[in-house]
Amino acid sequence: MINLFIDTSSSRIVVALTKNSQLINIINEVNGHDLSSRALPLIDKLFKMSNTEPSAIDRIYVVNGPGSFTGIRIGVTIAKMMAWTLNKEIVTISELELLATTDFDTDYIIPWIDARRKAVFAGVYDKNGNVVEDKYIKIQDLQESLENNKTYTFVSYDDVDEIKDSIKPEIDVLKVIERHQRDKSLNPHSVNPNYLKMTEAEENLQKRESNV
Amino acid sequence: MMDTYILAVESSCDETSVSIVKNGCVEIATVVLSQMDIHASFGGVVPEVASRHHIENITMVFEEVFKKANMTINDIDAIAVTYGPGLIGSLLIGVQAAKTLAYLHNIPLVPVHHIAGHIYANNLVEPLKFPLIALVVSGGHTDLIYMKDNYSFERIGGTLDDAVGECYDKAARVMGLQYPGGPRVDKLASEGEDTYKLPVPLDDDSYNFSFSGLKSAVINLAHNEEQRGNEINVTNLATSFQNRVVEILTKKTMRALKEYNVDNLIVAGGVAANKGLRSKLDELCKQNNIHLCVPPIKYCTDNAAMIGAAGYYAYKIGRRASIDLNAKANDKLN
Repeated sequence: MINLFIDTSSSRIVVALTKNSQLINIINEVNGHDLSSRALPLIDKLFKMSNTEPSAIDRIYVVNGPGSFTGIRIGVTIAKMMAWTLNKEIVTISELELLATTDFDTDYIIPWIDARRKAVFAGVYDKNGNVVEDKYIKIQDLQESLENNKTYTFVSYDDVDEIKDSIKPEIDVLKVIERHQRDKSLNPHSVNPNYLKMTEAEENLQKRESNV
Repeated sequence: MMDTYILAVESSCDETSVSIVKNGCVEIATVVLSQMDIHASFGGVVPEVASRHHIENITMVFEEVFKKANMTINDIDAIAVTYGPGLIGSLLIGVQAAKTLAYLHNIPLVPVHHIAGHIYANNLVEPLKFPLIALVVSGGHTDLIYMKDNYSFERIGGTLDDAVGECYDKAARVMGLQYPGGPRVDKLASEGEDTYKLPVPLDDDSYNFSFSGLKSAVINLAHNEEQRGNEINVTNLATSFQNRVVEILTKKTMRALKEYNVDNLIVAGGVAANKGLRSKLDELCKQNNIHLCVPPIKYCTDNAAMIGAAGYYAYKIGRRASIDLNAKANDKLN
């Protein structure tokens, strides 16, 4: 079973090929404004350095957010087109779940992504997986939701003044793939970004409509 | 001669479209998924909303076009894609999808400029005759282009500020007409009288256009009439507005034809659907023995068939892009 992993939604671009719970190759680089140019060449490089043809893969694991809206769309477009045209299995993974594969020795780990305006995309995870679902939340509300008798590790590539003592991620692609290896493959048409947030225009429209 | 099949992708604004075109002139199958109704509720195209819809639909649109054409990716000689200009988030979906297909199936990738597509929409109607002048008028563009031969573009003039379609939509909003306002203004214009004093925009010796002054004049007029407690005659305002726009567009176009000694005119872009513009050009071209080609409405608005037509000629002259092709919000036609 050969798996292709794609994550373009965060400040790192990560692509990997794995086979039977082992890494064949992984590329993990700083993401930038040239993501749209670089993503596909990096996937090509990954295949070439692994002496593997794209047609040889069995399954695609794509991170579909939350994170940079444009970033998410680039990885998801490549992944869904690939799954559709090569008739491959495809499953989606949360960026927050990926960040939560970082080692921690507290009760819980809270992966978060800066969503600006004193808000984050965040979830609560333990060693087995998700405990409080991923959502868009004001930082203050997140902090108030924590239990006093529990310990938490914050993890993120980002830095914001309101969250102190957050550690940097050391993601474990194999772990996250293993967790999803029994997930049912999705129809490529239905694979879409999980933004966790409406667009501002939609929010305003909703406000206007609910005021009527 | 072997037939050449181009698979074309267009996603520069709010239409997700894929088409298969034979030899640059025969449309085999096209799918266009328009988001117009979605954006109408916002009063205009919202870029982030547009991107979100493009990615939701992209694989389905490809699947549908192959089904319609009864073909597979193995029948395709090259993949043409609009790389710009347009909304960057929208363009990125089409570009990424086209690159992925080209890469996985080892098919040449051909970058196509959106305006080249609009011009070549006419090639789906009848073969372009050279030399020609192309008047490209849409929500994002107002350009006069001289073409000596296939795929040779010389921009001789264009808008210095608002595109003509943009000006229509904004004027329509002032008149209280719903988005997209252009077609509504056009319809009213045919029913009214030219009673309002509005300036003729940038009536000079250049081939450039400027519509922001006319737009401001409409806004000010509406405002002043409101201050005085007068009701605006929307029908007459539409007629007055459209007359000024059509007057300057046709005047500069006819002068370009004369000065460049060209007797072929093609009109392209969404505003090419405007009946006032069409009938005035028709009349002037008949008077001056100019051969006029205006595409049917379905080829005026954004569609991938036109990208497939342009893409064929770009492919034939060896235009290629590699898998690091990026989308460009702004880029010169060449």
